[in-house]
Amino acid sequence: MSRPSLQSWRRQLFGSVPDTVLSLGLGALISWAAWGFLHWAFGQAQWLVLRANAATLTIGRYPEAQEWRLWLLLGLLVSLTGLSWGLLRGRATAAGWPLNDRIAAGLLSLLTLVVPPLLAFGGLNQLRLLFLLGLLLLLRGLAGRWLAHRWGLRLAQSWPLVWAGAYLLGLWLIGGGLGLTPVRPSDWGGLMFTLLITSLTLLLALPLGVLLALGRRSELPLLRWVSVAYIEVIRGAPLITLLFLGQNLVGFLLPGGLAPDRVWRAAAVLTGFAAAYVAEAVRGGLNAVPRGQLEASRSLGLSTAQTLGLVVLPQALKVALPALVGQCIALLQDTTLLSIIGLFDLLGIARSVLANPDWLGRYAEVYLLLAVLYWCSCSALSLGSRALEQRLSSSNLRPAHR
Amino acid sequence: MTSSQLMIEARGVNKWYPNGFQALRGADLEVRRGEKVVIMGPSGSGKSTFLRTFNALEDFQGGSVVVDGIALNNDLRNIDAIRREVGMVFQQFNLFPHLSVLDNLLLAPVWVRKRPRAEVRQQALALLERVGIGPQADKFPGQLSGGQQQRVAIARALCMEPRIMLFDEPTSALDPEKVREVLDVMRQLAFDGMTMVVVTHEVGFAREVADRVVLMDEGEVVEVAPPQQFFNDPQHERTRRFLAQIL
Repeated sequence: MSRPSLQSWRRQLFGSVPDTVLSLGLGALISWAAWGFLHWAFGQAQWLVLRANAATLTIGRYPEAQEWRLWLLLGLLVSLTGLSWGLLRGRATAAGWPLNDRIAAGLLSLLTLVVPPLLAFGGLNQLRLLFLLGLLLLLRGLAGRWLAHRWGLRLAQSWPLVWAGAYLLGLWLIGGGLGLTPVRPSDWGGLMFTLLITSLTLLLALPLGVLLALGRRSELPLLRWVSVAYIEVIRGAPLITLLFLGQNLVGFLLPGGLAPDRVWRAAAVLTGFAAAYVAEAVRGGLNAVPRGQLEASRSLGLSTAQTLGLVVLPQALKVALPALVGQCIALLQDTTLLSIIGLFDLLGIARSVLANPDWLGRYAEVYLLLAVLYWCSCSALSLGSRALEQRLSSSNLRPAHR
Repeated sequence: MTSSQLMIEARGVNKWYPNGFQALRGADLEVRRGEKVVIMGPSGSGKSTFLRTFNALEDFQGGSVVVDGIALNNDLRNIDAIRREVGMVFQQFNLFPHLSVLDNLLLAPVWVRKRPRAEVRQQALALLERVGIGPQADKFPGQLSGGQQQRVAIARALCMEPRIMLFDEPTSALDPEKVREVLDVMRQLAFDGMTMVVVTHEVGFAREVADRVVLMDEGEVVEVAPPQQFFNDPQHERTRRFLAQIL
């Protein structure tokens, strides 16, 4: 595409009288809104509420004495991210970092340098964040330079296992037990809780959804009917009613002490809910796999299970990927409903902060931060999925690894 | 002829589709070890359906099919055992688009025969070389022409070391100039002694390679004869009519 010149801009914006009117009108509207926002942001808004509650919004009422565990977890995640980043991107370009990587590194550095002082984090925490940034970039560089070439392929195969192990380790660090002081789920909160419950739900809902989709296409009538009934019932009910049901009904059904923590009940409901939608997305993918693939696989002697796992599902999931990512994003946003049943997800903890008389009326500041955080999380998901889609579709054009 | 020499023995095979249409009406066929049989017939004559009963891709309601001494029935173990020994090549190639050419060949030997990957890899590369796809082993099926894809499909079937090869209109989906490269591979395979059953409209291939040519019409085997007799002196009116249309 050619660079838009001043002339082409003029042609597009002021080509005719209606265009000119429209351009000027919209320009005025945007300027007015921007002026209003800036006036509010630098004049009336009181950002102290964010500074004072930064920790609460991030981790909720997690005991301060145990906070080191979360830092440790963050360090672990950062290390793995750095290594994965290097492994994924290092192979493509032997010399130097690709432009996108340099942009990402620059943005991250900028954020780490600017945001903590703005929010008046303690000096120690600022140092920790800087250390984590350094760790991330260092590992990215090292992995891209050394690991990717010598060990890249062997590591890439077992890498998901490494992440799975880290996830379990993370759950242990957050929840405690087995030698660590237990921290009850009701004390988890804020951004950490939102990300934790979203990821946990997704990890459980994906396999469950795939099973439901397969059940729906099964040749066994009972299995098929049960799957269809489940999917249609769940898809026909609003999530919030299911959440209330999960909170209240289970309490009636099970004797008091046996009912699991409210957080786990909510996670179970979210999982069951997401699974029904995942199943429909996967069903779309399954339908897109031509019958000939099945016949070719069976004619080679592969069993039904092998055909499914080696031939059908890899193709179906690739087709279903955009819809699945849509589900992930929807699920992340659906976790805000947890605040309505009284859990302290990001929205819930924000509401509890706003209920504090000290911060009376500071709605706009807090909700703006929430909007930015949710937007960042969702954008990260869709960016990641787009990259994954590109990788998968170009894998049909690139030499395979041996 | 003793029965042990029979690779395929189909007797009185009947098949009805769920909508009541009878696709096969007592079709009979015997294929001896090393024999090349070409099945011809107008579209809708049941020739593909008949072929697909030989590796249980189609079920049937009456009659019997015995492949390499194993009777095809509802016993799943028998079906899997037969499919391992019977290679199949489809009209639409049906390569696995998410796997590289080489991985297409490796999949079944590694997962079904449980053979070590490195060992199969040598064999697969040799096979690809033989069908003229050697340099493309690392490409994906979508990057190959139709003729190349079909040759890969043949190599994929051969990599299982089958005792019989079935071809279901292997050149019908190809551009005319690509037909020859696939037929050359099949000719070579026939020359090497493979037992082959081929559904095709390629008269030249049938004349040159087939030991016997079969005419199917309306789900029945109408005529079975050596190519010389089949094309020059057919015994049945329906064969004459069919040949008049295609020759």
